[in-house]
Amino acid sequence: MKKETKTEAPVLFMDDVSFSYAGGRSGSGVEGISLSLGKGEVALLCGRSGCGKTTVTRLANGLAPHFYEGSETGTVRVCGLDVAHAQLWETARFVGSVFQNPKTQFYSVGVRGEIAFGCENLGFEPADIERRVDAAAKEFNLTPLIDESLFSLSGGQKQRVACSSAAATSPALIVLDEPSSNLDFEAIVQLRSAIARWKTEGVAVLVAEHRLHYLEGIVDHVLYLENGRLAHRWTAEEFARLDDAERIQLGLRARSIDDIFRNSGCCGTPAMSNAQKATLGKNVVRFENLTARFRKNGVLEKTLEIASLELPAGSITALVGACGAGKSTFAEAVCGLNRCDGTVTLDGTRLGKRARRRTCFMVMQDASHQLFSESVLDEVTLGMEGPDRQQRGLDILRDLDLDPFAEDHPLSLSGGQRQRVAIAQALATNRALVVYDEPTSGLDLFHMRQVAEGIRRVRERGITQVVITHDPEFALSCCTHVAVMDRGRITETYPLEESGISRLASFFWSKYHTGEEDPPIRKTPSSRQKE
Amino acid sequence: MKITGNASASTSKTGGRLVGKDLINIGIFTAIYFVVVFAVACLGFIPILMAAICGIVPLVAGIPYMLFLTRARKFGMITILGLLIGIIMFITGMGYFSIATGLVFGLIADLVWKSGGYASASRAILSHGIFSCWIIGNFLPFLLTADTYLPTVRAQYGDAYVNELMTYLQPELYPILLVACFVAGIIGGFIGRAVLKKHFKRAGIA
Amino acid sequence: MELLRSNAGERTVRLDPRTKMVMLFAVSTVLLLGGNGGAMFAVRTAMLLFPFGLLAISGRTRAAGLMLAAYLGTYALAAFAAPALEGMASTVIVATATVVSRFVPTLALAYFVFATTTVSEFMAAMARMRMPDWITIPLSVLFRFFPTLGQEARAINSAMRMRNITPTSRGFAYAENCLVPLMSCAVSIGEDLSAAALARGLGAPWPRTNIASIGFTPVDAAVIAASLAATAILALGLAFPGAIA
Repeated sequence: MKKETKTEAPVLFMDDVSFSYAGGRSGSGVEGISLSLGKGEVALLCGRSGCGKTTVTRLANGLAPHFYEGSETGTVRVCGLDVAHAQLWETARFVGSVFQNPKTQFYSVGVRGEIAFGCENLGFEPADIERRVDAAAKEFNLTPLIDESLFSLSGGQKQRVACSSAAATSPALIVLDEPSSNLDFEAIVQLRSAIARWKTEGVAVLVAEHRLHYLEGIVDHVLYLENGRLAHRWTAEEFARLDDAERIQLGLRARSIDDIFRNSGCCGTPAMSNAQKATLGKNVVRFENLTARFRKNGVLEKTLEIASLELPAGSITALVGACGAGKSTFAEAVCGLNRCDGTVTLDGTRLGKRARRRTCFMVMQDASHQLFSESVLDEVTLGMEGPDRQQRGLDILRDLDLDPFAEDHPLSLSGGQRQRVAIAQALATNRALVVYDEPTSGLDLFHMRQVAEGIRRVRERGITQVVITHDPEFALSCCTHVAVMDRGRITETYPLEESGISRLASFFWSKYHTGEEDPPIRKTPSSRQKE
Repeated sequence: MKITGNASASTSKTGGRLVGKDLINIGIFTAIYFVVVFAVACLGFIPILMAAICGIVPLVAGIPYMLFLTRARKFGMITILGLLIGIIMFITGMGYFSIATGLVFGLIADLVWKSGGYASASRAILSHGIFSCWIIGNFLPFLLTADTYLPTVRAQYGDAYVNELMTYLQPELYPILLVACFVAGIIGGFIGRAVLKKHFKRAGIA
Repeated sequence: MELLRSNAGERTVRLDPRTKMVMLFAVSTVLLLGGNGGAMFAVRTAMLLFPFGLLAISGRTRAAGLMLAAYLGTYALAAFAAPALEGMASTVIVATATVVSRFVPTLALAYFVFATTTVSEFMAAMARMRMPDWITIPLSVLFRFFPTLGQEARAINSAMRMRNITPTSRGFAYAENCLVPLMSCAVSIGEDLSAAALARGLGAPWPRTNIASIGFTPVDAAVIAASLAATAILALGLAFPGAIA
């Protein structure tokens, strides 16, 4: 890596850096990290959850040790600035940062204010800031949204605001920490073009990521971390040449979209065995005339309009579609949580809203919203009845590999584990239909498969499941059916067999192309309400 | 990875000066504290319960307060919290006396917490008892402006109502309300500590 | 409720944040201290209707209408129920109605202020008034954090409804059940928010610049004049009772 940029000083230079967090809570430390990144180079940090890749990004933007405190040895320099000893605002002149969760990283409430935020902090001239904001907004297709409130944007739009805010100060290095975790497929492709653009502009880019496919072709260096150490370094060509078995062994997600669909067979079997198929089809969950309205700027707008949809009992349906297509509204309507009209029929019984709250269950995107008790076991037994509930609760936990944590506090678990606790709640209260809202955002291969495994076990109990997802890799690993949603309507449904897989592939490819076209004049659909 | 509890750390390097992180924490906890107060105080729209606010609000407010203390290891943070609560109360129409009481009781609570070296459990509880006394600021308008306020009310609603009202708002009642705030604050402090131990410590955020 | 809009095109009244502060002070004072006599009654009524008017002009006619209806309803209840009923019942109803009608106008004003001020404008105004960081930063975070708390609370509430956790089924534990997830989410969001703000240079020692366009217009002048006049009349009325009757 130190080869071709010898003539110029590297933008980011780390020499034998080790860091451990004070108290050991904020993350996992790293040891002996050395790397150097020149102008216009893109480096990808990958590895399992907890391998320390986020820490490396924090070392580069100075948040470690200045925000996340701990002990650091070694040297980190950005454009010659000693990051460990400089103040955060000095580092901010050279480094722009984009974080994982679009909804927690903005300080302002308006798009314009947010893009300008970094420049204002750095004390740029107002006229200069105006120019930078306009340019950055244009670059990320945000001009039509410039006066919107950030609270009305979709996740993908928010992440674009975060990118343009990072770019507005024209930093030499941009650091991204799992930026694609909460994005839909189209937004991920736009993220790709942002990174590609920075690369051509000569900005050095450091990305920590689980989802690798969107970086194909723009990454120069791939760094694999294991237990806080740099275990492998590959050039882009070397990385592409790795065979799939090795990639999976390392716990890495698909490297390209082709990877996803080519190897769908080895990531668990999506194609159902015939025996399983036979059990489907008899009983169905039927949705009819499900509609929901949402008041936006004083006008009632239909956000959901499902004339009729049938799901076979015991199926796992992947619900795909762009952000703002109404998927979350659908989930809420199914669980009887929002104001909606229409009927849900289960095994011939019509369920009212109240009944749906008892028979259907939603595993939320952030499962910490649904954890109330002081231990995992209590969480599961809350709402269970009968004298043997402790025992049954433990059985369910064992089924989901949660029994070692039975006495732990639910909020002390990792995101994936919290999700499984929520699944356990559904099992404990005998729900017939479970809806998952993007269960794999921000999970590595191992944890994604664990979720998939959990969902498959739930299926063995005959429970019908709907999974809202933007993740084709995940959909292929456990779903039996696909439903595509667009502007509140279900546009197509099909079983996920041989032909279904290619339909799904072409669906994601088409998203890929809409995202990639990305002409500056393209009107972004204005403020789609997600919540 | 997202949940951190590095509260104690920030003192070391920056000395006692409040830095950006502390100020942001104050803002966040003011929001949480206010939401709790506001939710509980909605009960107070029934005026018989209005005086009871003194007794009820601190019981629940102890929970966010105790969590806040795990991040408030520098002098001034509680004072600013009190001031901001007062300002919000003013904006939502409770009069401006809460700004003064928030500032004063916040400052004393801050000193108490400081005297315990930002770690003493008993000082934390005492600090909440004192901090809770800011609530009295919401009632001061009735006392201090009674001369101008009451005739207006009397003209509108008649003598019977005013007399009834006055039985609840006797000047002698104010020391009692203050004591009620304090005692409830102490109890709320215990509740807050219990919840802290039961949940937030184990969840790794305290 | 869409707090903290930033859509400038939608805002027909553009007041400087400092004007809004003066206005808050005046309305709060007048409504709190009241005052007697015909002139004072006129001033009071004017200050009462002011917030509803502003809300309506700024395009929130629905909210303005609802709040005005709430105000008039409770006011009428207090005024007419008082003589008709007797004893305890009368006191409870009248007092409740009085308290509600007393707070609705200030809440309407607070809503207006929050809904039409952006964080950038607020920070610019505070900078012009040379307010220190230790008050500007927490207040601006506070502004931004209310809608976030609202979103979190809504999600938690949905989860509680799905699991039948209600005040009746849980008792005092209900408060705990609400607060624990809300606070832990708030804390982790706060952590991310701080990191993102600090990584972009918040808290630098040099003066912060600002692109928010704030400044006084004739409308500001008019609002400030009206606010000051109302306060002055009130002060006069209090100092010399009977001077203006």
